[in-house]
Amino acid sequence: MNVLGVGRSSFRTAVAALRNTQTSRALATTARPYVPPASLEHVAPPRPRRSRIKTKPESSAFFTGRAGYYDSIDSLESAIHHSQRALKNLHLLPLPAFAKEALPPLQTVWKTKEDMSELLSAKLTTSRYRRVTGLLGQLNDHRRVADVGGYAELSSGLSSVLETFERDNKDAVLARGIRKPVKFDEYGRSYTVGKRKESAARVWIIPVKQRAAPAPTETQAASPDFGTVDPISIDSDPTAAVSMTEVLVNGMPLAKCFPLPADRERIIRPFRLTGLLGAYNVFAIVRGGGTTGQSGAVAHGIAKGLAAHVPDIELILKRSKLIRRDPRMVERKKTGLAKARKRYAWVKR
Amino acid sequence: MVMSTSVVQRALRRDVARFVSARRYHTEPRPLKSPEDWSDFQLERASYKMLIDHFSAFGSTQTRENTFQPHHSLHRPPPPSQLSLSALLASGAHFGHSKSIMNPNFMPYAYGVRAGITVIDLDQTLPLLRRAAQLVRSIAAKDGIIVFVGTRPDLRPIVRKAAERVGSQGYHIGEKWLPGTLTNKLEMFGPDVVKNGRVVPDLVVFLNPIANIHAIRECAIEHIPTIGIVDSNVDPRVVMYPIPANDESTRTAELVSGVLSVAGREGVAIREREKAVQDKLRVRRIAKSYRLPQH
Repeated sequence: MNVLGVGRSSFRTAVAALRNTQTSRALATTARPYVPPASLEHVAPPRPRRSRIKTKPESSAFFTGRAGYYDSIDSLESAIHHSQRALKNLHLLPLPAFAKEALPPLQTVWKTKEDMSELLSAKLTTSRYRRVTGLLGQLNDHRRVADVGGYAELSSGLSSVLETFERDNKDAVLARGIRKPVKFDEYGRSYTVGKRKESAARVWIIPVKQRAAPAPTETQAASPDFGTVDPISIDSDPTAAVSMTEVLVNGMPLAKCFPLPADRERIIRPFRLTGLLGAYNVFAIVRGGGTTGQSGAVAHGIAKGLAAHVPDIELILKRSKLIRRDPRMVERKKTGLAKARKRYAWVKR
Repeated sequence: MVMSTSVVQRALRRDVARFVSARRYHTEPRPLKSPEDWSDFQLERASYKMLIDHFSAFGSTQTRENTFQPHHSLHRPPPPSQLSLSALLASGAHFGHSKSIMNPNFMPYAYGVRAGITVIDLDQTLPLLRRAAQLVRSIAAKDGIIVFVGTRPDLRPIVRKAAERVGSQGYHIGEKWLPGTLTNKLEMFGPDVVKNGRVVPDLVVFLNPIANIHAIRECAIEHIPTIGIVDSNVDPRVVMYPIPANDESTRTAELVSGVLSVAGREGVAIREREKAVQDKLRVRRIAKSYRLPQH
């Protein structure tokens, strides 16, 4: 044994001297030839091993180094596969295009990348996060189909899986950007606030009280229901008076408050586009800014109020950008410039 | 609206008659708004399927149950004892790569060349595959950890299924082998896991060895036996137990991993049986030692 030990170490030093740039790791197979432990059983007595039973890793993806991530990918994919098979047996999948459009939306907000990493106990890069949310989206689609088909058990099962991946403040996030519903008081008036530039307007809108309507004749066409307005056909009854929209701004009538016709047109524009001129009266208190800003603020408030009174109108006002608060504000002056954009005269020298 | 089976069946029978008389063959595009619309949509489809199923009974005797389905190669692999040359041929295992890139060390396993492609000799592949299966079986019978490596998108479900088949001793890597998994295990898994758990596999099976050459090298450093599907452009000596076959074909990979994992499952069963026998003997011995003396 001693001789063998001496011989082995001298061989090692010789090899090391020859290749002194390489590490001992690189010489693993040349310096000390590998001998399987089974062959040494009868040569040397087995060392008394400490009785430590080593356990096998739990996850079958342990050797990937990212067991949590790959396990969750596998389980999501199998959930998708099983739910797809169940829905296929129920003849709900595959969905043709017209049925897909008819599905009610079930919007969800998934956890952020950091929260998801914590949940899966694996650091997620953006591509991995996108992959996980892609799979969650597929599972969510299956949940929508199960929901609309009326299969509560399947839907609740999928929901329980998906809830762990949804954000805690999901409802708050989904409610963002949705306008609060406008309340009406006991007289049927809506109260809205409109803003433009530095002006803010408080606007109250009340429907015009209709006079006693004349007896409907056969010549009158069927009218769509626009609030409490009954459209009076001029041809049938030329003597009937047309109802008027009265606009009071800061206690003054419109013509007195806004001498410029452009400002007045701006205020009346929501009524013109929606055809509700004569249907509602407006009272507004506006502060701040100049004529353009104040008229724009009143128009904004009127648009929001009309949308509250007649919900069908909202799309028209949205398309014509009246319900959107105009974000244009006065741009600040910058250093080195005369005004926001105006530069000083260029001098050659 | 939840439907019971009897209600559905009655509705289907009624709808089949209506369907046939109305000659409605396809669901026409129409808006689906109420739950009744959705259940009508379902019933229409179910009645169409029922019609097909009803008349299928009068047609061919071949059904879904008794014919080959594409998913059988993954989910119903042959056991090693029933492996045949025709199964290997059917999976396309004999297609090697181009003649020009053939590795000279692969020559013993090549049958010849046809149309510029190296044809692999399946007469040699078959016993080598069975040898590999025997290895997997014996390692599994000794409570060994077996890792299946297939780092291509189409190999992912294959290695996953193979690991599932072997059970608690089977592991899979479907995407990427992180360099240092075996040589840098302390930093990769942490000192606690390395001290108290088994982090070194006892066998690694490579379904695409060319892409995992670093993993093969790590296994060689750590003295772990390797099995691999070697194609004609690979030196068969990279792995300890080469299986010369087509590494590009998914069906071949399914067949090979299926055979090996079935062998692994057999090995686990052998171990369970032996453990049961040993436990029974131990219990008997303990019972004997506590037997009351006869008066």
